[in-house]
Amino acid sequence: MADTTIAQTQAASTKPSVDLIKTTGFLASLLQRYEILRGYSLLAPALVFMALGILVPFGILITMSFWTPAGFEFNTDFSLKNYQDAAERPIYGALVTRSLWISGAATLITVMFCYPMAYYVAFYVHRNKMLWLILMTLPFWTSYLLRVFAWKIILGYDGLINSSLSGMGLIEQPLEFLLYSQTAVVITLTHAWAAFAILPIYVSLEKIDRSLLEAATDLGDGPWTRFFRVTLPLSLPGVMAASMLIFIPTVGDFITPALMGGPDGMMIGNLIQLQFGRANNWPMGSTLAIVMMLSVGAAALVMYLMTEFLKRRVA
Amino acid sequence: MDVVDNLNAVKNGELSRRKFNKSLLAMGIGLLTVPYTQRRALAAAEDQATYFTWGGYDIPELFTSYEGKNGSLPNFATFGGSEEALTKMRAGFVVDVAHPCNQGVPRWIKSGLFQPLDTTRLSNWSDVMPDLYNIEGNVVDGKPYMAPMDWGQTSVTYRTDLFEVEGEESWGMLWDERYKGRLGSLASGGDAWWCGAIYSGVDFENIDSDDAFAKIGETMRKQRPLIRVYTDDTTSLQQALASGELAAAMTWNETATALKGEGIPAAFAKPKEGALTWVCGVMMHKDAPNVDRAYEVVDSLISPETGKFLIGDYGYGHSNIKSFEAFSDDELTDKGLSREPADILNAGHYQVPQTQEWETRMNNEFEQIKAGF
Repeated sequence: MADTTIAQTQAASTKPSVDLIKTTGFLASLLQRYEILRGYSLLAPALVFMALGILVPFGILITMSFWTPAGFEFNTDFSLKNYQDAAERPIYGALVTRSLWISGAATLITVMFCYPMAYYVAFYVHRNKMLWLILMTLPFWTSYLLRVFAWKIILGYDGLINSSLSGMGLIEQPLEFLLYSQTAVVITLTHAWAAFAILPIYVSLEKIDRSLLEAATDLGDGPWTRFFRVTLPLSLPGVMAASMLIFIPTVGDFITPALMGGPDGMMIGNLIQLQFGRANNWPMGSTLAIVMMLSVGAAALVMYLMTEFLKRRVA
Repeated sequence: MDVVDNLNAVKNGELSRRKFNKSLLAMGIGLLTVPYTQRRALAAAEDQATYFTWGGYDIPELFTSYEGKNGSLPNFATFGGSEEALTKMRAGFVVDVAHPCNQGVPRWIKSGLFQPLDTTRLSNWSDVMPDLYNIEGNVVDGKPYMAPMDWGQTSVTYRTDLFEVEGEESWGMLWDERYKGRLGSLASGGDAWWCGAIYSGVDFENIDSDDAFAKIGETMRKQRPLIRVYTDDTTSLQQALASGELAAAMTWNETATALKGEGIPAAFAKPKEGALTWVCGVMMHKDAPNVDRAYEVVDSLISPETGKFLIGDYGYGHSNIKSFEAFSDDELTDKGLSREPADILNAGHYQVPQTQEWETRMNNEFEQIKAGF
């Protein structure tokens, strides 16, 4: 017994990393031998949670998309009818396109509005940066629904914008396109997701090595060229992250279009929600959810490839 | 267990350290458990019955007797259309009491999610008008499933100062090209599709035919570009009418009554084609966790106090005959009501129960039309 302890201590002194794990039992020796196993055991809780929370429901979704409804029940025979419908009936394609378009517009505008804010905090604020960031995200401490209703009040028929404009005598009739339109949805989404753009962009701007900017100036770049050749390409990861963070969830949003969109502002999320609710056609809802996921995936891939291409061009 | 007089023990220097710690421990446990015991005694929210209802019925005025007995209101969950409510409950949402309408009752019963009512447990049942519970499919083996509560009409509420009526009031008001973009509609096919049927001249007996679907679909498609908003939120419609954003909208009695109450020039049309009429009530879930309180919810809803509020403030009819005592005949006529529900219900187009297939088909069709296809 004493011998082995000595042997272990010797081994430990020659290989210090082994020291970290107690060398008793079969499992421990396995863990000691394979680094990859140590990694996975650290990941295990999250992996189990992911499998239960994402893969299982996703499996159910896929299975259900091949079923058909029969009154209150499901006909569980394999059928491609839902996918056929999704491809053939114009409503689905049109709503997917519209959703991609609205989210794309909202993403673009959000990033364009938030980039200067993040830029300012990253480069020109030197004290109390945290306070600035907290202040910028302050509006997002209120409930999402409240913010949507606030926009309803601002954009409404006798809302803030309309009553101020007519008060100043600039318009006679209230502007009706403000509320219950795709514009209203884009405006609301832009405001609602601003925090998700500011933070990643700020982080990537903050990380930029300032000496690179000095070098660019030394080598004769003006402020604009310097921005487009150094700052922007280096902050692209943040911009990409922000775009993905906003684009992916907003495509499936249903509460904003439901409250702000009016008849022409309906998005694919509303249709999916209806399939699971009133229309009582869960299989079709599942199919639409999958179609939406695929389109979002495709759109995100295009976005990613485009930035890669741009990065290479600029560099 | 011996009781120790701690104070005297301290005085006499007899309290050992162990004894002192013991009493401290006892006090600590006592303090910690106080909040729990008290909450139990006061009846927590989870002890109250849950009432699953249309938006607008989740208000204290309907539950004066329930609140008196239980010290607090029931829990509320709301829905925008009864089809949506049924799907949600079929997916496993358990409530005590839910609020369907006559058109859905046979399908709701068929879903097997509800239990028949034991009317002997309802103190107000003897005053409930039999016409209202002897409706198609409601009474099975002598026991009613739905206790009727409110009845009324779906019709057009319009601003008398903004909307110029040509000739008689009609459903055509909601198809009037002159008011493009200033018309509103309920989003649920459970109302809108039926109103479309009335305007298209489709008899409710034949509403299940392909011909009817085609005809009503065409009518609804024609209306769609004129509509500013489809919503199930009656408050939105009411506010839009109040601000003048909408000149006319498809609503229930409630909206017109509320607008008039605010002093806004509005009227609830009596369309020449006839309004859509319905009776709604409450059904009890078969797994209702709080059966006793569920009966109190039902009893509260069919009480004359609730009825007076529904008639006076919301402009709906009520099922309890005593609710009408507080109102004169003129007042009732003005609200589009009568002591004899049959007068109103049969004068309009009374909804007829349909199959599940019809509901699904209709909802799909109507959703497509609303989306512009």
